[in-house]
Amino acid sequence: MDIDLSGNDLAFQQEVREFLAANAYKNGTDYAEWRLNWFKLAQEKGGWDVTKWPEKFGGPGWSPTQHYIWEQETAIAQTPWDLPFGLSMLAPVLMSHGNEEQQQRFLPDIRDRKVNWCQGYSEPNAGSDLANLKTKAILSEDGTHYTVTGTKIWTTLAHIADWIFCLTRTSDSGKKQEGITFLLIPMKQAGIEVKPIITLGGAHTVNMVHLTDVKVPVENRVGEEGKGWGYAKGLLAHERTGLAGISKSLAALENLRKQASEVKRGNGTLLDDPSYRAKLAELEIDLLATEFTELRSLASAANGAEPGPESSILKLKGTEIQQRIQKLTVEAGGIYSAAWGPMPVGHLFARGGMQGYLSSRAYTIYGGASEIQRDVIAKNVLGIKKSQSK
Amino acid sequence: MNFDISSEQQILQDSVDRFVRDHYDLDKRQLLVLTEQGFSPDNWQSMAELGWLGVSVPEAHGGFGGNEIDTMILMEAFGKGLVLEPFLASTVLGAKAIADGGSEALKTEMLPGVVDGSRQLTLAYAETQSRFDLEDIITHAKSDGDDYVINGYKSMVSHAGSAQQIVVSTRTSGGQTDKDGISLFLIDADAAGVEITSFPTVDGQQASEIKFEGVKVSSARILGELDNGYRLLNALATAGILALAAEAVGAMEILYKDTVAYTQEREQFDHALSDFQVLQHRMVDMFMEYEQCKSLLYRATLEVVQNSVGAQRSVHALKYYVGKMGTFIGENAVQLHGGMGTTEELRIGHYFKRLLVIDAQFGNSDHHLALFAA
Repeated sequence: MDIDLSGNDLAFQQEVREFLAANAYKNGTDYAEWRLNWFKLAQEKGGWDVTKWPEKFGGPGWSPTQHYIWEQETAIAQTPWDLPFGLSMLAPVLMSHGNEEQQQRFLPDIRDRKVNWCQGYSEPNAGSDLANLKTKAILSEDGTHYTVTGTKIWTTLAHIADWIFCLTRTSDSGKKQEGITFLLIPMKQAGIEVKPIITLGGAHTVNMVHLTDVKVPVENRVGEEGKGWGYAKGLLAHERTGLAGISKSLAALENLRKQASEVKRGNGTLLDDPSYRAKLAELEIDLLATEFTELRSLASAANGAEPGPESSILKLKGTEIQQRIQKLTVEAGGIYSAAWGPMPVGHLFARGGMQGYLSSRAYTIYGGASEIQRDVIAKNVLGIKKSQSK
Repeated sequence: MNFDISSEQQILQDSVDRFVRDHYDLDKRQLLVLTEQGFSPDNWQSMAELGWLGVSVPEAHGGFGGNEIDTMILMEAFGKGLVLEPFLASTVLGAKAIADGGSEALKTEMLPGVVDGSRQLTLAYAETQSRFDLEDIITHAKSDGDDYVINGYKSMVSHAGSAQQIVVSTRTSGGQTDKDGISLFLIDADAAGVEITSFPTVDGQQASEIKFEGVKVSSARILGELDNGYRLLNALATAGILALAAEAVGAMEILYKDTVAYTQEREQFDHALSDFQVLQHRMVDMFMEYEQCKSLLYRATLEVVQNSVGAQRSVHALKYYVGKMGTFIGENAVQLHGGMGTTEELRIGHYFKRLLVIDAQFGNSDHHLALFAA
């Protein structure tokens, strides 16, 4: 065991820093153009645009330490916005379960950030109990296409997505985990209606998606009919690891300290307040532990293991930490956190703080609620089985 | 020992419960939120007719002559309905400032209008640098013959946009954070040099930033004693805290009960969510903390009414506990409602937001824990 960076790792860190510094966004320039160019330059570095993809599909083939360095450096540098749906959620499924034609058809556009994907999993009656989904896909008699009808909910950015990857029910017999089929469906077509859902922070990011008699060619089915649940489960594990956001939280904690130092309190600032300091310290200690839990998980992933149940620990700890950072931001804002609407009032960070805090309440719900994560750990890690009632 | 309310108070409670039931469902409330005033003038008039706007105003000035228990009954019911009308700002804070600190002439001039709903008041105490310290005041009043001239800035003033008069804490002597040297003035909202900028708050209410530039006010408009206004200011804060805590307790009741109801309706894994023990225990915790908040509310309110020695400490304990547990209950109500809890469509999110703002008003939980420990 050794936590010092090797000479090679230090050189890599330097290279990453130089890349990020050289390609930072310059105020006043065209953002969209900069964004696409950034990914192009990252690709030229050897897969830096798809850091988590396997080498076989163009990824950089980094060691866990290199991934860790990348996460750390990109959390504090300005990098272009990116969406996980195609890149981190669908792509691994296509790589493991899609056929070659599908891989060639979809992966390049995902990589080039040309096509936006959204995820059609949850339904009004299938939340934590995801396998309870009812969206029907009926195969035509000639076997050329499915007809899909149903409703998906909490579909993030469905209103800007070009495609949706969807879990559908093709059979009602057997266990409910069986008979689920993984389909890829273009969004811009008749029969698909997107309705916004406004969340507590007043934002429109999630939607309800109604599908009515949508025809989907069989070529758009990933893997076998009825096996979609198995593919999705692997995907959920990827989603959960990605949601921990430890490096981002470390950067956010630093930012929070800066904000708290702007808040006057008596003769000093909020940072001189012993109880606030103690809360920051507790948060930091949790982050130090979770950072290493993530590193341990990364190291096991490097040995070829899929992210398994231990990724549930990261989602739980990571999202709770993110929520606590948001909560402490609201506390730092004091009464100014209550101000709403476009007019700036008091501390400038305070309004964003409230918005962030309210949005953060969903972190422990989506991607498997914290209660479900604990069930998964109890069952799969602790090996607790339901006893027979006596 | 007796924690039952009197038969008169029972009548008050029944009538305010009925009012909230009839006038406040989520759709109606959210329409009012979008109006410029942010509340219903009709509801305000009804509140006046029911006698509530004068609940704490002395009978000699047309009021009900009630105490903090009567206010508690009203505020708890308002909390259950997320009522928007500026009862706290105008009656609990503004009218009390005049009733406790104004001259007889000023009371006669001002209070009847408060009681009949034609006059609306508010209290401006916070400043940009003050955070939660009432005594941290830069806004100053300078003597000028029989008048005073006020210059300064007040922040996050509740419902100032629709108020006719504003109670303003100022410094007439001493240093920025001295408790001595503070004086309260009653200033007309439309006086020359008063600039009010209003905006909504996250809980659907209204607040304002106020600039005072060379505002002239007569010494007859001083509330409490000159240079010794801190006592009155602190008494107003205490009244505000008791009222907010009662409102919070009402909101918490809705949150835990809605959650208990929802988890029994919502089925996942072929079971009602309420079948899961981990959720049952969470709801039991929410319920327990609601009851504990209520106990501290009764304790602090009764001690303030009876002017007990420990009253100030109990008020700190109450505000600490209500702030902390309001967040706990609100966060868990959202969590147990799952995705639906994070939307604007269900009412629980709106109660949660109100509890968040209550925590920040008149000092958050950390602030009062520190004062309690001091």
